[in-house]
Amino acid sequence: MNLSYLASLSHYVPELMAVLTMVMLVFIESSYGRNDKKRSFFYFGTFIGLGFVLLSLFDSYNDHSTAIFTGSMVIDPFSSLVKIILVVGTMASIYLAKESKDIYGHLKPEFAIMSIGVLIGGMILCSANNFLMLYIGIETLSILSYVLASFKKNDEMSSEAGLKYSLYGGVSAGVMLFGMSHIFGVLGTIQFSGVSARLLELPTTDIVILLPAFLMFFAGVGYKIAAVPFHMWAPDVYEGSPIPVTTFFSIVPKVAGIAVLVRVSMIFFGSPGALQVTWVGILSVVAALTMTVGNVSAIGQKSVKRMLAYSSISHAGVMMLGVLVINELGVQSVLFYAVTYLFMTLVAFYIVTFVSDKYGNDHFDRFRGLIVRYPLMTVIMAMVMFSLAGVPPLSGFVAKFNIFGALVSKKYYTLAVIAGINSVVSLYYYLKLVRLMIFKEQESNEVIVGFGTANQTLIVAMAIPVLMLGIFWSKLMELTDGAVLFIAP
Amino acid sequence: MISLPSFLAISFILFVSGLVVMIAKKNIIAILLGVELILNSAALNFAAYTRFVNQNLDGHIMSLFIIIIAAAEAAVGLAIVIRFFQIRESIHIDDATQLLQ
Repeated sequence: MNLSYLASLSHYVPELMAVLTMVMLVFIESSYGRNDKKRSFFYFGTFIGLGFVLLSLFDSYNDHSTAIFTGSMVIDPFSSLVKIILVVGTMASIYLAKESKDIYGHLKPEFAIMSIGVLIGGMILCSANNFLMLYIGIETLSILSYVLASFKKNDEMSSEAGLKYSLYGGVSAGVMLFGMSHIFGVLGTIQFSGVSARLLELPTTDIVILLPAFLMFFAGVGYKIAAVPFHMWAPDVYEGSPIPVTTFFSIVPKVAGIAVLVRVSMIFFGSPGALQVTWVGILSVVAALTMTVGNVSAIGQKSVKRMLAYSSISHAGVMMLGVLVINELGVQSVLFYAVTYLFMTLVAFYIVTFVSDKYGNDHFDRFRGLIVRYPLMTVIMAMVMFSLAGVPPLSGFVAKFNIFGALVSKKYYTLAVIAGINSVVSLYYYLKLVRLMIFKEQESNEVIVGFGTANQTLIVAMAIPVLMLGIFWSKLMELTDGAVLFIAP
Repeated sequence: MISLPSFLAISFILFVSGLVVMIAKKNIIAILLGVELILNSAALNFAAYTRFVNQNLDGHIMSLFIIIIAAAEAAVGLAIVIRFFQIRESIHIDDATQLLQ
């Protein structure tokens, strides 16, 4: 028994390293004086630590899938790929926080430490193989997110954002647990292993209990990915939080939530029956609503950050379309979408952060005539906007195309049409920004300090995948093809 | 002998009262109490199902973890409420309207 635990630890190196990094950073941070603004060794430690996490994830990527810790967690290529996305998102957010003026200087190290905590929650979440680990993962993710949302301590909006996030989050976690408890009562175990066989033998009365229980369970996960009936918190929290935190929120918790939704759908609803029909029905309605509400609300926004927040809601809806297909093709298209979404979101938020740091707000008008001063940045921003809308030949198009392919293979034509219409609608507000940047007179010709050489290089480096994955997508396709989801027997 | 349905009924009542408190109360501390009621209803359910339906320890462990994590969540929630109170000098949920433009 003890030996098997030690053997499990060897598959658990990335998470352990993330924990070590977090603890180490707490110590390094406490060794600095309050007036030391640079903290170069702190950031060195952060990126080295997370770099090692990334390396060990790549290293163990091709190991064969196993269930570890007596079946409570699963290490498979699917979870490894999701973890890679999460780690890259976290590293980029920490760098953005370091550069941004939106977070107080002495709080920046705290942002790094807590975002690594959220990252650990996300890593637990995407390899969770029983309800306990799932709950612990979601709560690790949430509790630290509440703190991150109320990060501008003296700002009214920020503390209000944290307040709303934590109140809604508490209720949704409670509702999810209430649903889980009834699922546990019917199935008699919290483990995911071996559950699909048991589901087939259940009498009809038990299935009738399971349906509302799963609906309640979905409330908790849907809250994390801001699916529509539970999305009320998202615009407020995204608006109230500092921009690096918004960047972080629109990547890490969202992708981790989608990953857990994929796993739960594949395990519990993989075999056809009344359960699968209902689950797919719920997910279809929610996904269609999420896309539509996200897009329609994004149209009227004045602030670019809020527009991106609403658009990230609608992107979560598109990813849910891939989830509800419930087969290998669907999983693959979701992973592809998540990778491209990561780069597009990062580039868009980086540029918005630096512009907003200069002017103190991020209204659309601040982007007027940006092309005169920063042609390269403007072209990249325009490219990312087109990619987010799904225009060929950019990666956003290939990602959407994959999702459509998966939908059509299961003959969900209505959903594909709704997603297509939404894509066209989203073009409107993305192009509004492009039009302002390129065709309008500029308001002022001040230098934007954030666009230094290093930051511009980084933005270009992150924008390259947006373009390249749209043309040479076969490599990533092979990668996501190989990222099989392992269902422990 | 108290049977499973009575436990389930009690936990359901707890759950519904938690939701009602959430919706009806305007005081943020009361809303946090409502969240605790909902979490406890789930914990009670887990314990009851373990006792009556299946004899493994899964449910008990779940209940324990719910209690622990609820404490952590309440601590963070209260800290945020204190911050909000210091800025707005109110713990009325209707004062949290800065973000609703």
